[in-house]
Amino acid sequence: MTQFVLAGVLGALFALGTFLVLRRDLVRVVWGVAIMSQAANVYLVTMGGVDPGDVAPIVYEGTTGVTDPLVQALVLTAIVISFGTTAFALALTMRVYQEHGTIEMDEVGRSGREGVGQVGPADGQEGPVDGQEGPAAADGGAVPEDRGGETDG
Amino acid sequence: MAEQAVVAPLVVALVTAILTLLVRRADRTRRVVSVGGVLAYAGAVAWLFAAVASEGTLVYQVSDWPAPFGITLVADPLATFMLGLAALVAVPALVAGVRQVGPQGQRVSFHPLYHFVLVGVSGAFLTGDVFNLFVWFEVMLMASYVLVVFYGGTEHTRAGVRYVVLNLVASAFMLVAIGGLYATTGTLNMADMARRLAAAGTEGAAIADPTPVLGLSGVLLAVFALKAGLVPFQFWVPSAYRAAPAPVAAVLAGVVKKVGVYAIVRLYFTVFAAGTVDLGFGLGEGFLAYYGPVLFLMAAASVLFGGLAAVGRDDLSDVLAYSSVAQVGFIVLPLAVGAAVPAVRELAVVATLVYALNHAAAKGLLFLVAGEVGDAAGTTDLRHLGGMLERMPALAGAFFLGALALVGIPPLSGFFGKLLVFDVAARAGAEPALGVALGGAVLTIAYVTRAWNRGFWGAATPAVVDARTDGTVVAAVAVLAVAVVAIGVGFDPVYRAAEAAAEAALDRAAYVDAVDPMEVDT
Repeated sequence: MTQFVLAGVLGALFALGTFLVLRRDLVRVVWGVAIMSQAANVYLVTMGGVDPGDVAPIVYEGTTGVTDPLVQALVLTAIVISFGTTAFALALTMRVYQEHGTIEMDEVGRSGREGVGQVGPADGQEGPVDGQEGPAAADGGAVPEDRGGETDG
Repeated sequence: MAEQAVVAPLVVALVTAILTLLVRRADRTRRVVSVGGVLAYAGAVAWLFAAVASEGTLVYQVSDWPAPFGITLVADPLATFMLGLAALVAVPALVAGVRQVGPQGQRVSFHPLYHFVLVGVSGAFLTGDVFNLFVWFEVMLMASYVLVVFYGGTEHTRAGVRYVVLNLVASAFMLVAIGGLYATTGTLNMADMARRLAAAGTEGAAIADPTPVLGLSGVLLAVFALKAGLVPFQFWVPSAYRAAPAPVAAVLAGVVKKVGVYAIVRLYFTVFAAGTVDLGFGLGEGFLAYYGPVLFLMAAASVLFGGLAAVGRDDLSDVLAYSSVAQVGFIVLPLAVGAAVPAVRELAVVATLVYALNHAAAKGLLFLVAGEVGDAAGTTDLRHLGGMLERMPALAGAFFLGALALVGIPPLSGFFGKLLVFDVAARAGAEPALGVALGGAVLTIAYVTRAWNRGFWGAATPAVVDARTDGTVVAAVAVLAVAVVAIGVGFDPVYRAAEAAAEAALDRAAYVDAVDPMEVDT
């Protein structure tokens, strides 16, 4: 029975994640990615085998019928990684909002192209180096969070 | 002692990354530590390369946990070949980065992130454990996310969102595939997995039916194709390479992409090749027979799409980015042929590795040149450039060498890469592959000539007249230019290294013996 419930939950989570990733709103996209990685984690736990009779893997002499501890260790690693990446994705969302004034991906795409047109083809890519760090450092918002995401991983 | 050499590149890169974090405040010290660290990394790679060349495959069981319980690091000729490739690009790119990335950027996070990318890359090349491969991928990606949005402008955040979201979704898929592989094979150790797959279906084997492994490895292939930037997963490539600082673009195109290629060689040709399953459709049995057509379609589409798109671009960075989509197609094309035709398999892996090395050096060089052109002239738009040969002859000369290496003119490194790709296709009698390679070569000539004619010949435009190049960057570019020539002129040792790597990639029994995972009842 547990297997069927888990299978249903996994399917629903992946469907929800996919749905959210395909939205235009960047915050929803980040939610979608977060849900997808959590769904992958749940999937990973179930891959150790689901048997309602099994107990937690705290092994004394003669303990039998424990669940597979390896998948749980894997999931702990994966949770830490997805925590870091989600934090980074949210920081990036904020930065996108600061730069574009919107988090609608359609408008972000358009504003980016218009932006390049206004500045002229010279800037925007690898243009003058000194000017480029200016906004990142001046706003101060994105840079520390970027590093936060990095060290968490 | 020799076993310790296996972790040396990892430890050196990690220590350097942490040290550069600690000395953030002192500009001069940080630069010295960072450049010294990357030189030490190259030294560690050279030490490991020499150790593996003299003593054969080295295995390091982390914390002395025996395989398959612990994490195994395996340094075989394939891993050391790839590490050598990484070191070749990493050193000049960092030296150029010291000049090309502004002082504020270097103070903030450039150096630690750069070294964390190297940590992830080295770990991915060395690991012998599928889940650990995922972790190293994440280490590498996490640092590269920040490097892509490094400048934090409109353009960069837009490229960053695309890059980050795609890779996060890919990571979720990679976890799913790894979880499925664990459930079907009962192990995560690559050597153990290969052994169990080879024994699948026999009496008392751990795997009764290997068919699910084929599907799960297919999911993994999509993830690796995304990392390598193969069509139809190429769409993050151009914007990310344009947004990243030039030295980072050099490393992303030169090294990080090759991690995807390496993963395909290691997992599919060493591990999954052990599996057999009746495929139907006249494909025969064996997992590789299934991957042959799949890889061929992706490689052919990459070569043609990347080439056509590069011909039509007006921006030098864009041309190079699309060109790297096409070139990764060239790298994977022999793999596709080798997967389908066992007779040329070893030569095919050699061709892939040689081409990968050539692409790493040449494309790394070209991205550094493009970055320096952007810094000196203020633009990389070919419509505003012209006459650079006159104004910056050293940089133009290096670009010329890199471009010719992409085309494949002897005696440069690219000649042997192309030659081997054609050789593999011809020996296998694979006419479609020959046709694709020929078409791709013509397209390469077209976009390279176009970029050269517009940017470097003719009268100097106003942007170019006032341009001043940086001596250090030109020196870093020159190092790669020398490498491009040296690989071509002194090709024999490179070929022997690639041959040893290909043998190691295909000799499953030797790989399993070296790791020697214990038999476990499941």
